[in-house]
Amino acid sequence: MSFPTTVDDLDAALVECGYIPERSLTVSIHLAIQMGRPLFVEGEPGVGKTEIAKVLATMSGGELIRLQCYEGLDASHALYEWDYARQMLAIRLLEARDDEVDVHDIMSEEYLIARPLLQAIRRSSEGLPTVLLIDELDRADEEFEAYLLELLSDFQITIPEIGTVQASTPPVVVITSNRTREIHDAVKRRCIYHWIDYPTVEREIEILHKKAPETSRTLSAELAVAMQKLREFDLFKPPGVAETIDWAKALQVLGEVELSSDVVDATLGVIVKYEEDMQTVRTAGTNALV
Amino acid sequence: MKSQGDIASANLVMFVRTLRSSGFAVTTTTTQHLVEAVALVGMHRGSDVREAFRAVVVTRRSQNQRFDAIFEQFFSGDFVITLDDVVDRLAERKPVHRAPRIGATSAEETEDTEDRDDVVDVVGGSASERLMDVDFADLSDDEAASVAALLANMTWSPSSVASRRWQPASNGELPDLRRTLRMLTGPRGDLMPLAFSERRPRQRPLIVIADISGSMERYSEMLLHFIHGAQYKFSSVEAFVFATRLTRITRQLRARNPSDALERVARTVLDWSGGTRIGEAIGAFNRDWLRRVGSGGPIVLVVSDGWDTGDPNQLALEMRRLGRSVHRVVWLNPLAGHEGFTTTARGMAAALPYVDDLLAGGTARNLVDLIDLLQTSRNRQRSIAAR
Repeated sequence: MSFPTTVDDLDAALVECGYIPERSLTVSIHLAIQMGRPLFVEGEPGVGKTEIAKVLATMSGGELIRLQCYEGLDASHALYEWDYARQMLAIRLLEARDDEVDVHDIMSEEYLIARPLLQAIRRSSEGLPTVLLIDELDRADEEFEAYLLELLSDFQITIPEIGTVQASTPPVVVITSNRTREIHDAVKRRCIYHWIDYPTVEREIEILHKKAPETSRTLSAELAVAMQKLREFDLFKPPGVAETIDWAKALQVLGEVELSSDVVDATLGVIVKYEEDMQTVRTAGTNALV
Repeated sequence: MKSQGDIASANLVMFVRTLRSSGFAVTTTTTQHLVEAVALVGMHRGSDVREAFRAVVVTRRSQNQRFDAIFEQFFSGDFVITLDDVVDRLAERKPVHRAPRIGATSAEETEDTEDRDDVVDVVGGSASERLMDVDFADLSDDEAASVAALLANMTWSPSSVASRRWQPASNGELPDLRRTLRMLTGPRGDLMPLAFSERRPRQRPLIVIADISGSMERYSEMLLHFIHGAQYKFSSVEAFVFATRLTRITRQLRARNPSDALERVARTVLDWSGGTRIGEAIGAFNRDWLRRVGSGGPIVLVVSDGWDTGDPNQLALEMRRLGRSVHRVVWLNPLAGHEGFTTTARGMAAALPYVDDLLAGGTARNLVDLIDLLQTSRNRQRSIAAR
């Protein structure tokens, strides 16, 4: 596993892998990797938070292990769980054979189901390059954050029946949040924090160039400028970069090479997903975006 | 004849009372702690005693200044207890210093009770019964203080919903295999015992958006007292106020003492009692805060008389969006309890279709209805108080 050792090299490597970062983001990623601290990224949906983890996995040639958070996520789905059905069968079997049932027979690795966090720690403890993505942490409930604390500071997991698994070199950890609620300070304190903003026009053109290479430079520029204007509308949900890329691809499918008022109107559903927002845009006039 | 030690203790009791009447959350145990503190540091150096007392009494950085002022006045600079001094003070029987207070609650009423938690009892039964039905706007300052204390201390608990977390239960919905397996390891017969689990209940978050424009001043003040008490009952309470601008006051409201809390709110909020733009305020909430504080199926409490100087179409639009994003929208209107109330005020009429409950909010009795709703919101129909 090798990451570039300077910020410039990292920047180049990210671009190489198809991610065009803001300089400040590159610095944060660099620090997180070199200091062995998790990277905590917050930002509006669709600005490329999850993508960071994917790109880092590609770059390191390692595996991406993803933990998607949801309400009610608990240790048995994030860390590990015993395979109860098989354990019970094993007990029955041993009893049927009149064997003595020993705890070690049924509390062994064989019956352990490793969930993403344990998988990541195990892989790193074996020295394999690993990127752990804890996605949308704000969707999990606060109780779950407490589980993360031990993991994020010591990178170890203790299973009472088996022992402690410790990652000698910590995996690269990326935590994302859409900020639907505030994450507790205790978690943030252990991380390098970065807020990703919408990109500048120039950067968005670059991103389009990378992600939708079939789109001409002129059309890319038109799309990026239109997006910039759109984000200044008072929308309930301003579109992110993901929507820009979708838009470029949609125009590609339709064979449009130029952004006109009619085209915007026809494809508005690709970039704006709320009925009220559509009305706002249509009231302002779709030609305002062209 | 009292010993000098007795008099020193009496002096400390007085000091504690002075602190309490200035809004410090101190109790009788504080006095004991002060006595212990003096015993530990000795009485020879005033500065040591001051720091020892500070360690016992002050719980927030912001209290330091007030503490110093009280200490200074009470012990007149040098900390030398002279017998005459103490006897004089005991004879006066009143605190030397009293800080100005906003939204008074506990000072006079609790002067002679040692425990300040039972403020409600101090408001005599019949008197409080009468005040329950008096419109907030007609209360005198003293009465308002009593009612505020009453509101802040009511005993109730918000209704809960099933969360997505599980907990052990003898009659649960789902087998708990982990516990079942553990039970298997003990002695048993041929029957295999099964352990069960059920969904753990959780409270819905409460979000309050209160109008503090001119016509609402008194009502909102009383409601903030109510919310200040209620925030300890909910797992999460977010509070906002608006007249022309929306301001988040969640953090300010956290102060333990209600007077402190309202004082902080007053300092934060710049447009107390301006004109009202309800639509813009709700819009600002939807845009800037809904995504951040709106998770977990919250109950939203909008407090306003519906007199709106903004655009009613915007209000309707924003209320619709709000209503679709949260579990329930409750509109508390202080005028709704009045004789001949109609929902024709421009803002009220625009918002009404998107409101689940319209409740009166002008008297303490009205707020009891609100409590009832919050306690049973789980299976409640839409309720509009007046037409």
